[in-house]
Amino acid sequence: MAEMIRKREPETVPQEGVATQERTLSLPQGETGAEQSARRWLSTILVYAAVAGLLLLLGWGLVKVNSGQVDSGLAPDFTITGFEGETITLSELRGRPVIINFWASWCPPCREEAPYLEATWRKYKDLGVVFIGVDYADTESKALEYIEEFDITYFNGPDLGTRISQAYRMDGVPETYFVAKNGELRGVHVGPLYPPKLDEKIEELLAEEYP
Amino acid sequence: MLANIGLAALTVSFLLGIYATAVSAYGGWRGDARGLALAESARNATLLVVPFLTISVLVVTYALYSLDFRLAYVAGVSSRAMSPFLRLTALWGGQAGSLLFWSWLMAGFVATVLWRKWEADHELMPYFIAVAMLTTTFFIGLVVFITNPFAQLWHLTGSGEIVEAVFRPAGAIAFVPPDGNGLNPLLRHFGMIGHPPTTYLGFTGFVIPFAFAISALLTGKSREDQWIRTSRRWTLVAWIFLSIGLVLGGRWAYDVLGWGGFWGWDPVENAMLMPWLTGTAFLHSVMITEKRGMLKVWSVILIILTYALALFGTFITRTGVISSVHAFGKTALGPVFFVFIAVTFFGSIWLLLKRLDTLKTEHELESFLSREAAFLFQNLLFLAITFVVFLGTVFPLLSEAVTGTKITVGPPYFQKATGPLFGALVLMMATAPLFAWRKQSAGRLGRAIFTPFIGSILIAGVWGYTHRMHPGSYFALWVASFVVIAILFEFYKGIRARMKRGENPLVALARLVGRNHRRYGGYVIHLGVMMIGLAFIGDIYFQDETQRALARGESMTLGEYELRFDDLEMYPGSDGREVLEATTSLFRDGEFVANLNPRRDFFVVQQQPMTIPDVYTTAAEDIYVLLVGWEEVGLTSSTFKIYRNPLILWAWVGGLVLILGTGIAVWPEARRKKQTSYVLKPTTRAATAARPATGD
Repeated sequence: MAEMIRKREPETVPQEGVATQERTLSLPQGETGAEQSARRWLSTILVYAAVAGLLLLLGWGLVKVNSGQVDSGLAPDFTITGFEGETITLSELRGRPVIINFWASWCPPCREEAPYLEATWRKYKDLGVVFIGVDYADTESKALEYIEEFDITYFNGPDLGTRISQAYRMDGVPETYFVAKNGELRGVHVGPLYPPKLDEKIEELLAEEYP
Repeated sequence: MLANIGLAALTVSFLLGIYATAVSAYGGWRGDARGLALAESARNATLLVVPFLTISVLVVTYALYSLDFRLAYVAGVSSRAMSPFLRLTALWGGQAGSLLFWSWLMAGFVATVLWRKWEADHELMPYFIAVAMLTTTFFIGLVVFITNPFAQLWHLTGSGEIVEAVFRPAGAIAFVPPDGNGLNPLLRHFGMIGHPPTTYLGFTGFVIPFAFAISALLTGKSREDQWIRTSRRWTLVAWIFLSIGLVLGGRWAYDVLGWGGFWGWDPVENAMLMPWLTGTAFLHSVMITEKRGMLKVWSVILIILTYALALFGTFITRTGVISSVHAFGKTALGPVFFVFIAVTFFGSIWLLLKRLDTLKTEHELESFLSREAAFLFQNLLFLAITFVVFLGTVFPLLSEAVTGTKITVGPPYFQKATGPLFGALVLMMATAPLFAWRKQSAGRLGRAIFTPFIGSILIAGVWGYTHRMHPGSYFALWVASFVVIAILFEFYKGIRARMKRGENPLVALARLVGRNHRRYGGYVIHLGVMMIGLAFIGDIYFQDETQRALARGESMTLGEYELRFDDLEMYPGSDGREVLEATTSLFRDGEFVANLNPRRDFFVVQQQPMTIPDVYTTAAEDIYVLLVGWEEVGLTSSTFKIYRNPLILWAWVGGLVLILGTGIAVWPEARRKKQTSYVLKPTTRAATAARPATGD
């Protein structure tokens, strides 16, 4: 009858990751010592492997959650369609500094930085700087009201399926990413921008050489 | 300043915790008289941790109440607009405070266990203290070093930044914001007083059986039975709190979240359900271990698994690894917590494997038609459900790791995958108590289940004939009524037997239950679980909904109900919210039954809306009305969503019955009876004594 206990358990238990060793509990007398120890070893290894696998998964998730914004290396590429239907692809903007600003109409700090962003855009647009406003988790009507309210004239589009914010591992709005002429990230600013931070950053980006 | 006293007390409790852990482990390792004396000292240290932590908790609570915004934690979760009640509950409204509260509860549990006399299992005490205090001290350490509720806000004069630190950074001046952010709006609810504390009591309570199991394995006392009985009692304590927490959480979600139901398979709900499932499995398998000396490994695994799942749940909730409605926000908690979990998991498994030989079964399974086999099967079902829930919970993470895309599985997966398993489990619930120990004759069993079986088939059949609905519902109803009738029939048989001896029915009932608390308390718990099951059946198979825009005076219908939109007004509410409240009248078959006022509260500072339903409740069903949209100008038209939620009331009633049943089950039995209730047939004992020699 011990057979019955032993055989029933492995079917459901091992996936749980903590519990496969029950069958070593009362080995039938028919098995040789070598078979017993082989089975014991195998189940032991399986248990440890399952737990290690789970921990690996959790550890990986933890690293991902805590790694924060992408703020160096090549900026993740994306294509975004604006509220007026036009399309921009980041990788096609090489040679020009790009300012990517994540915002939402429901976000009060975004309102604080909106006038400064627009003023800076007007100041630098003739020098080849590109501003991309990425509207995060918003409704189109509210977003358009917001754009009208602050008379925003630079490019703006919705982040459909929050794909762009995921790629940049954005944490909340507002956040602003600075992309150099060669497509590399030159840092991120979390929270609203106040003068002269954005001006300084753009001057730095403009000063970079690009072949 | 008061906060310094709190900080000092917290630090002292941390040091005491380290002392208790180290000294008790050393004492246990020595194992001699000197070792026991050391363990005694560790015990005193542990008992001292509680008053010191209490001081910390009181200081934080007072700071929240008196709005001491110098403290970053207070500025984060309290605010002038909040009522005193909410300010007090803000103790567990954010990461730092809730971890302190958690540590306090855990230390309280450990101290309560140590307070009692340790006659039967005093040899376990040193290691028990070491394991329990290692865990408690770990959590206190998190509070001290990582999320300290006594950290203050500082203004760095150089860069102008505001930082959080316990001690003043160089060149900084104290910063006191004029007002705090206040609690997350979803937490501003009366449920805040019930759900979090009971849940925490449930989670922290599982450290007790775990510490018993580990210390029994460490000392080799796992060979004996006493420790597992003690574990059972403490598991029951943690389990009932977790159960209450689950029910209150469901109630809260139903009242506040506005998604029409009480259970959404959110990762954090699952994180709570999983230890509940394995804990329940343990409470069953332990009966077999106690009475027959079987399933010992099984019981130990379930204790460890329950605790591991409680830790896992805490980990995913507090680190945000799996996103859910209970996000705590990002902290540096992750890496340390991860190491702690890894050490706990691997340590327990290593120890369990090392001590397997102490957990030999005293009897073999004699027949599949026996109570032992039924309990084993029922345990497997519990584990299968746990696994299914676990898989669904980590699936977003798993899919992202493997394919790069996060795939979240929703309620349909959980319902489809767990539904049949729950069905089978409920069938076991009806039949398992009717099985005899060791061996059951099929004929006897057949007679025992005949009446409930026929009765439930009739009920399900009649229902199915009159209400042609989802076929799954007939089955669910059959299973549910089978259990209920089987349980009531057990009571009936017991009472009838006593009445034959001339007792009146009420006395017979009282004596019947009084003679065997555990058995009849268990039945009452089963009844409570079935009531909650009814609510699930109603939710899955019979929920009905409709949505419409109404002008003032217009009506919409749902079945025999009619809802008339009377008025809509906007006014400023308490604690910084703008309230939009509709007045509606509910009619049933043309007759007025209730005024319902569904609302939409908008928290101005947090820019967060909250949809608060109004509900008309009867025993058969709830009519749950949501205000989902309105015309901003003139407030002349609104959109309402109406749910008909059958049988929901029974989830809450079931929760109360569950508590009642647990109360009956844990009610101390008179001493004389307690001793006789565990005695086995002498023949089997003798047979056991001979076995270990051949087993080794």
